[in-house]
Amino acid sequence: MRLYILRALLVKEVHRHLANRGGIALALLLIVAAVMLSMFNPGSGGADAGGGGLVGGVHRCVVQYADESPLVRELRASVPADLRPQVAFERMPPGEVDGLVTYPPGTGAIQIRTWSEAGRPVMKFEVWHPPGEPGAMAPYEAWFWRAARDAMQTWAAEDLRAAGGDPARLTTPDPAGGDLWAVRDSFRQLDEQVGRLRPATTTANPLPRIELERKGLGAKELDLRSAIATGMVVFALYFACVYLLPTLNCEERERGVLLAQALSPASPTEILAAKFLFYPTLGIALAAALAGIYNPAALSTLFFWMALVAMAAGFLGIGMTVATLAKTQRAAFMGSMCYLMSVSLILLICSQNGIPGVPYLALEFHGPRVLHAAVTGDVQSHHWLHLLAAGALAAGWMAAAGWLFRRRGWQ
Amino acid sequence: MPETAIHIDGLRVAYGSFVAVNGLDLNIRRGELFGLLGPNGAGKSTTIRVLIGQRRPTAGRVSVLGHDVVRDWAAIKPLFGYVPDRENHFEEFTGRRNLEFFAQLYNVPRLRVRDCLRLVELEEAADVQVRGYSLGMRRKLLLARALLHEPQVLYLDEPTANLDIRSAEVVHRILRERVAAGATVVLTTHDMDEVEKICDRVGIVCKGKLVALDSPLALRTAHTERMADVILDSGERLAFDLDADTDRQKLAEVVRSGRTASVKTREFDFHATFLKLTGQAFE
Repeated sequence: MRLYILRALLVKEVHRHLANRGGIALALLLIVAAVMLSMFNPGSGGADAGGGGLVGGVHRCVVQYADESPLVRELRASVPADLRPQVAFERMPPGEVDGLVTYPPGTGAIQIRTWSEAGRPVMKFEVWHPPGEPGAMAPYEAWFWRAARDAMQTWAAEDLRAAGGDPARLTTPDPAGGDLWAVRDSFRQLDEQVGRLRPATTTANPLPRIELERKGLGAKELDLRSAIATGMVVFALYFACVYLLPTLNCEERERGVLLAQALSPASPTEILAAKFLFYPTLGIALAAALAGIYNPAALSTLFFWMALVAMAAGFLGIGMTVATLAKTQRAAFMGSMCYLMSVSLILLICSQNGIPGVPYLALEFHGPRVLHAAVTGDVQSHHWLHLLAAGALAAGWMAAAGWLFRRRGWQ
Repeated sequence: MPETAIHIDGLRVAYGSFVAVNGLDLNIRRGELFGLLGPNGAGKSTTIRVLIGQRRPTAGRVSVLGHDVVRDWAAIKPLFGYVPDRENHFEEFTGRRNLEFFAQLYNVPRLRVRDCLRLVELEEAADVQVRGYSLGMRRKLLLARALLHEPQVLYLDEPTANLDIRSAEVVHRILRERVAAGATVVLTTHDMDEVEKICDRVGIVCKGKLVALDSPLALRTAHTERMADVILDSGERLAFDLDADTDRQKLAEVVRSGRTASVKTREFDFHATFLKLTGQAFE
């Protein structure tokens, strides 16, 4: 392997892509799509839809209430300008709120429930955050607790004034951000102050007793964000290795430039090595960028990079096999598309009919599983087995492609 | 250093049941400009494909500069340059970028690119994308590419096709210079004038076999037909073989009769020689 030849071949590939910008344009479109999905919620739609795409966290907060009370009006008026696009108020009857409420990905909720107990009203604030992300509602909670505490204090002051008490003696403790104990204590202190300051002759404290609870949203039937992110990562690898590589390779063959390179001192191994280096690198870089937009932490895990390399190697083997067997650029395009369709159909048929074994022979069975686990950071022991299988299949494809290319690829 | 640059011994190439080259024996000397002629499908291009290692022989042996083309292909590749009949450039690159890429593969300095562009008179268009080149410019760029590493053997398939007279002259000059420098040049062409003008020796192949091998002059002398074409007053056209006694007598009678509008002898050209030789081969 001569480095100056390898370098020349790699630089040639770069120059070809700079001259034919279709591939670069599509790669950029993928990045733009990922960023757009991060900004706009793919699931909810509508003009008032907030965020909720590939970036984690809560991009839309729904405040749900049963009655349009003064508290709700106060809360609505106090939403800070920077949170206003993300916060939506929604009236929901008490019966509905106890049923199954489904929120789109990237959406959290604060439910205000009221009832009475032993003649005293009770108000419960339930904070619903995405599963496994209890801190995701922090920006909304920081606003909500302060606003709710202020509203309650205003309410208490009016009550005190009406009862002949002195509202100026009410202190205003800081609800201490998202610490639920501190918030709960702040409401408790307010309740105690009102009890103390009210003249003994007046009626019972009309302020509601406050309860707080923070819960994770359940029903993880489909995490659209991670599914889209995984799909984009798989597509990036497929695009570079199974689409770009065969079509450009066959274009070189059709034009005769592949033969010209083969007749130069560059050996078939060097020509092959340059292609084996360039296209997977391109695919991995694009896939990593897309995965990084979804979950930057994934880039720091070994499993993620192993999964990317295994899948890129496998797709490269498939791409080179298509490139070697196809005689024309059109045949290469059709070959890669037909391959994808065939494998998808086989996997679907096997899945629908419970046919065992066969799916394990497809890289496309293991690949999305390991990449999804890698991208979401949810790697279980069986994912390592999938990775092992993907690696073995990739090695098989690479060997087949190398053997075929050396036999007839450059002709 | 062997005197024979290219040695072809009993070469046979078959595509399935079709035999393209059938027992070709040929020796091409070092420093020779050799023309390989033949009608379409005669086996010229297949022979060239075997010489450059693109096609494996079905039978026989071929060696270039002492190296077997099958066994020592990697060793032969840097020694030859090849101008294919169909241009094969990176269309999206400029002419200069195309040459620079191949110069890097041959590990020759970048200055050589400029020299080659100048040699084929493509300096002004060097920084234009190849997709904007005319057919002639593309062929000249092919030649420049083949000359980058100053090969000892040069194979050219129709090197002057689509070239204007001046550009063809430039190509002829370059080829003669390469031969003068000791290189061996093998070209295929359909231009008989070109063959007569620049080739030292000519091999005529037909149906995969060598039917004639000599210098253009010797072949013409040995094989050209001597004919006389007569047009009578009535418009009837007659042809007489001047080498046949009966035809000569008939011609004399026709001329004496005074019914002739014109009598012309055919030019002794290589074109006729080629037609005669290949025509015989088809019989």
